[in-house]
Amino acid sequence: MAELQVLDEINRLLDADGDTTVNTSMRLPETLRDAAALAVQHLGVAGSTTSLTATALRRALETAVTEAALEAHFEQHPHMRPSLAAVALALAAQDGSPLADHPELLERAAAQVVARHPDADADDVLLWAEAQAAVHA
Amino acid sequence: MRTLVLDNQAVQALREEHHPKHRQVLAHLAGIVGRRRRGREVSAVVPTSVRVEAGWDRTQPEAAAINRLRVVDHTLDAASANVAAAIADELAVSVADAHVGAVIRSLLHDVVVVLTSDPDAITRVAGGRPVRPVRI
Repeated sequence: MAELQVLDEINRLLDADGDTTVNTSMRLPETLRDAAALAVQHLGVAGSTTSLTATALRRALETAVTEAALEAHFEQHPHMRPSLAAVALALAAQDGSPLADHPELLERAAAQVVARHPDADADDVLLWAEAQAAVHA
Repeated sequence: MRTLVLDNQAVQALREEHHPKHRQVLAHLAGIVGRRRRGREVSAVVPTSVRVEAGWDRTQPEAAAINRLRVVDHTLDAASANVAAAIADELAVSVADAHVGAVIRSLLHDVVVVLTSDPDAITRVAGGRPVRPVRI
């Protein structure tokens, strides 16, 4: 199955009515199962270990499929890939951060962060830019 | 939890690769993915009335790319329709804008961010609910 078809099928399954359940043959480490049971019972992280597992799995899949869809789009249209600074600018706007009005600071921060940490993400850039702004205030 | 709501302009920008704001809206979605990877709960929604206005028919082949980005529908159900009707009556706005207002008012516990070409309109339809309009 081609990658885009895989993404479409995952999305179809994620969006489908999930009332039908199945006992899976998925093998979990026993210690992980026990840790999850304790977290449900004593930390209130979810109503049951089943819902904890299902919710975490859904979130992971939704994130992975969105990321893969974006990546597929950028492979087809490389000039549409936003820069790290552009993603940081978008998050600053979403956060209501004053940095949203200073794209030049984010450009500079992105360049500085990536120089030392090539795998940095947009939040790393925001943190660095905020720290720089605080130091120079 | 944060919810990112797309208005008509944001949908148009996302649908059309040559739209001047296409890359900007993609940057917002890429940011959401990054936040999710850090364990934050962030979702992207589109009111179904906005989809109507923007001509986004999920069943059409040309919608395949945008469908994959998991911008989920907020449907205009009975409760939302009542709220939207009141907003439309009070503010004389379009059905889509009224539906955006209904979405904002329904997300009581979320930080709501709206990607929009008209931040003032979003503030009005929010009816005093906290909302963060982001101009695109």
